[in-house]
Amino acid sequence: MGYTLVYTQVLEFLPYLIKGAWISLQIAILAFFGGMFFGLILATIRTFGNNISNKIVICYVTFFTNTPQLVQIYFLFFALPEFGILLSPYIAVLLGMTLNAAAYLCEIQRAGFLSIRQNELDAAKTLNFSLVQQVKYVILPHIMRVLFPPLSNHYIIMTLGTSMAAIFGVEELTGRAFNINSETFRSVEIFSITALIYIVITFIATFLLAVIGRYFFKAKIRIIQ
Amino acid sequence: MPQIEIKSINAFYEKLHVLKNIKLSVSKGEIVSLIGPSGSGKSSLLKMLVGLLIPKSGKMYLNGNLVNFKNQSDLRTVREQIAIVFQQYNLFQNMNVLKNVCIAPTKIQKRNPKEVNEQAITLLEKVGLKDKLKSYPDELSGGQQQRVAIARALCLNPQILLLDEITSALDPELVKEVLDSIRLLASEGMTMLIVSHEMSFVKEVSSRVVFMDEGSIIEINNPKNIFEKPKEKRTLDFVSKILKEK
Ligand SMILES: Nc1ncnc2c1ncn2[C@@H]1O[C@H](COP(=O)(O)OP(=O)(O)O)[C@@H](O)[C@H]1O
Ligand SMILES: [Mg+2]
Repeated sequence: MGYTLVYTQVLEFLPYLIKGAWISLQIAILAFFGGMFFGLILATIRTFGNNISNKIVICYVTFFTNTPQLVQIYFLFFALPEFGILLSPYIAVLLGMTLNAAAYLCEIQRAGFLSIRQNELDAAKTLNFSLVQQVKYVILPHIMRVLFPPLSNHYIIMTLGTSMAAIFGVEELTGRAFNINSETFRSVEIFSITALIYIVITFIATFLLAVIGRYFFKAKIRIIQ
Repeated sequence: MPQIEIKSINAFYEKLHVLKNIKLSVSKGEIVSLIGPSGSGKSSLLKMLVGLLIPKSGKMYLNGNLVNFKNQSDLRTVREQIAIVFQQYNLFQNMNVLKNVCIAPTKIQKRNPKEVNEQAITLLEKVGLKDKLKSYPDELSGGQQQRVAIARALCLNPQILLLDEITSALDPELVKEVLDSIRLLASEGMTMLIVSHEMSFVKEVSSRVVFMDEGSIIEINNPKNIFEKPKEKRTLDFVSKILKEK
């Protein structure tokens, strides 16, 4: 009892924390777009591939969506050196999150492919749309509208997931909070401020995504859940 | 010279032989109705005419020119002249009513957008959708979507119109409206192929009626004969069954 909140000491570290948040953001964005790209390849294989390639993708997705992300990164970080592959903590986390995201984003994008309506493509063909015009006017607007909300969601989840990097010694937002904590022992203040910064980051991202989704893709995203 | 002539067409979905040795010629201004039980290949025949189902053998001539379905420019020519209204309407869900009608004339045919817009609005007014210009297909009933699809087809100014079961999704009071606009098109000399279960309408507007069953054309006859004294027993069975249901 008798713990008094003292924010002054911790506020000095605010710029340091915000720089950490920037690193968190970088990891989230890189892993998200890496995962989108790799996931798109997986989704394409899954949609158009043969039996064997399909099974390989299914195994991949099953593995990454049914084991904890932490375990996946531990594996990359501690097991790969045994095979002579050394990864820095930052790269291990980035790679782990990208591989994990690819599995989820593969499934999301595949659902998008499957939702393309053959009926509309038939209509487009008989109206003499070229392949490029079919993609531009029919396929992309539809896919973006369907995919934007779940993709946005996953991006937010990934942003918060970057805090796992702290466990491996990456000095992103949570990692830096750990550092300040061991220097000042002002745990409540530090982690309340850290939480607040996460809220600000995700709130801004949600807001921007909702605006982009609404105006460019007519996707319906609620800003406040 | 017939406007459309198809000779011994055979077409397949994978292994299913869906069009069997189809022969038909249609002259300019003719209205040919296709009747037959569901699954007999009526929709497939219409799809074949616009190159969505490529025949494995047989020939099709459009205005006397042999159509090579593997050739993109031939396909384009066919689709410029023949417009289709699908059984499931096939509207673009991400575009509003007006955009659905205008997109092909402006973006594909490269016509003047203002002129297209005016034509589209006139057509949509004619089919009773003046107040739905900005609505999206999922906000419309089946019958309303059907009429948008008709307007979309007409806005292309086609020579030939293919209509697939256009009255089946319509509310009874609208059937008359839509059929009236088809009568009007007929009187203006548009060539039409119509799949319909509306027998009284078929009887009234058709120049000839084609009865299909299991992928084959069983009988082609004039509308009076096909209902009153068909040549084939299968036609008689079908016609008497469907007239009894009324
Ligand atoms: N895209 C398709 N793929 C496979 N089979 C189809 C397809 N479309 C229709 N069929 C089949 O082809 C046959 C003829 O169908 P359809 O032309 O739609 O008949 P109708 O319009 O006379 O009811 C049916 O047996 C139907 O199941
Ligand atoms: Mg049909």
